[in-house]
Amino acid sequence: MHDFIVTVGEEKRIVSVTNNHIVLDGKKLAVELSKVNKHLYLLRLDNKVFEVTTTKLSNEKYSFLVTGNYFETTVRTSLREKAVEYLNQKQRLSRNDIIKAPMPGLLLKLKKKTGDKVEMGESIAILEAMKMENDIISPATGIIKEVNKKEGMSVEKDEIILKIE
Amino acid sequence: MFKKILIANRGEIAVRIVKACREMNIISAAIYSDADKNALHVRTADEAYHVGNSPASESYLDVNKVLTIAKKISADAVHPGYGFLSENAEFINSVGEAGITFIGPSAESVKLMGEKTAARRLMEKSKVPIVPGTVNPIQSIEEGKEIAEKIGYPVMLKAAAGGGGKGMRKVFSSDEFSNAFERAKNESKKAFSDDNIYIEKFIENPKHIEVQILGDQFGNYIHLYERDCSVQRRHQKVIEEAPSAFVDEETRKHLTTAAINAAKACNYFNAGTIEFLMDENKDFYFLEMNTRLQVEHPVTEMITGIDLVKEQIKIAAGEKLKIKQNEFTNKGFAIECRVYAEDVDNNFAPSIGTIIHHRLPSGPGIRVDRGIDLQTEVSVYYDPLLSKLIAWGKTRDEAIARMKRALGEYQIAGVITNMGACRWVLNHPKFLDSSFTINFIDEEFLSLQPGEWKNNISQEINDVVTVMAALLKAEENKLMPSKYNCSGNNNWDSEEDA
Repeated sequence: MHDFIVTVGEEKRIVSVTNNHIVLDGKKLAVELSKVNKHLYLLRLDNKVFEVTTTKLSNEKYSFLVTGNYFETTVRTSLREKAVEYLNQKQRLSRNDIIKAPMPGLLLKLKKKTGDKVEMGESIAILEAMKMENDIISPATGIIKEVNKKEGMSVEKDEIILKIE
Repeated sequence: MFKKILIANRGEIAVRIVKACREMNIISAAIYSDADKNALHVRTADEAYHVGNSPASESYLDVNKVLTIAKKISADAVHPGYGFLSENAEFINSVGEAGITFIGPSAESVKLMGEKTAARRLMEKSKVPIVPGTVNPIQSIEEGKEIAEKIGYPVMLKAAAGGGGKGMRKVFSSDEFSNAFERAKNESKKAFSDDNIYIEKFIENPKHIEVQILGDQFGNYIHLYERDCSVQRRHQKVIEEAPSAFVDEETRKHLTTAAINAAKACNYFNAGTIEFLMDENKDFYFLEMNTRLQVEHPVTEMITGIDLVKEQIKIAAGEKLKIKQNEFTNKGFAIECRVYAEDVDNNFAPSIGTIIHHRLPSGPGIRVDRGIDLQTEVSVYYDPLLSKLIAWGKTRDEAIARMKRALGEYQIAGVITNMGACRWVLNHPKFLDSSFTINFIDEEFLSLQPGEWKNNISQEINDVVTVMAALLKAEENKLMPSKYNCSGNNNWDSEEDA
């Protein structure tokens, strides 16, 4: 028997996969699986067959599209989940606010430099994406600890622009 | 009639134009940038020519490169689609000078309507109601503030050369004026190489209602009814429908008459759209004229049965309009959802990637105009529009029901799309009773907690996703019990099922 912790949105659920059945949060399910191709599976749950479109996003993340509903899930073995939780907790204690690029684009303007004060809600940079100028708003009040990018640079999604302490 | 048309565009609209050409036995020639090597419009067209590097400014927007190809391949006409060079008067002139026909209006009409302040002056003269504000660009921040004070905040700052929401800012008070003005100027300069800005009074909670017209080169005009395009995010349309359930017969008469007057005022020919803002009293104001084919043209085609792209080609070839106003009417209702590659939960950020799975919806009343297929690349270089899903029904309710069904059938993997959010809109009471305005997304959608719009997703579907995630991980970790291990075969495994 193998236990997996699946996170969908904020919700964490436990799935046990055994040789004979699948147990979801303690409830036994009648499940059958058929693979159409790498990105399309058929999953039978009771008397209903679902077409599930899937993409592997990273080692622990899959996205799914089911009857027009899109989901991103994180899935870990229960052991791995415990380890990650422990690490997160440790990190939270010494956490700095990290400003990441919310989308790929061109860093048009950086309004702050290292050592500057910043207020929560203040615009700290302008990112141009798809020809639109987007303000990047500070999620915290503090002091700029580190600036990782320069004006005029293009950034990928989730690249760190600067850090606030 | 033309023998070969160069399509100076990409994506779904280029594919749409190829289809019209094929039905008319005209050779279609596509152009493509590096990023679009495998794009659907390249696969679909009769001929395809490399135009340049991936950035639009070095490919689809490069007048010289596009023109050089048109001449080299002996195209006798150029269809610009929408966006890119479609409303570029210089391009239209250069095409004409090369002895090639531009499928669209004259450069003069485009210039007149593209310069928003000139257009406002002309409309005022032609008795087409305009939004109160300036009919000339603002010279300085001081002048702007004075005018804004006079007509009353909030006001809109708009690019005189603009469109599509670029170079546009709403200003609530004089404190915000100078910052917004500079920002609008910058955006406008970048998007249109022109930084002239004018002021309009901000109309509270209007609808965006537009009228499709067709005119030939002999002064004959018809209108093809209105479209309601009020469901917008960041001034970009998302869901459009025709006709508008908000517009009554009396208003429709005034609206379509104003639209034809607007077209006549600039000696317009080919397909064009006159956009209006309509307030809750059904009073309407001229917003701008789009001197080209619109993204949302299919909803009009669905309710009138008229193929707008073919009509465009025939008009450009010098034919007279064969359709008379009294020979057709609007039948039923059509809705379009623009399927964008974007993450609505992450501030509508564009989602890029390769399309790794694609299955189209089908069935009664469904049409898809698409620019993607398997292995096409969705890049940062272009608009994130992937395809357009269009549903027709005898009644508006039927059109909505068909659209919701089709949104459930449409499968795209490789990028995140806005389809789930489109369905949320279609279930919203304000959409259902047609009371939605251009502020609908801002007020009803953006005010929700992150992910809250997904709350009505059934527990069953949540279960399916959760189990799938666990099974895929088990398979990957080679922990999959043989009962579920289906790699390489498609059999339902039911032998030992209890």
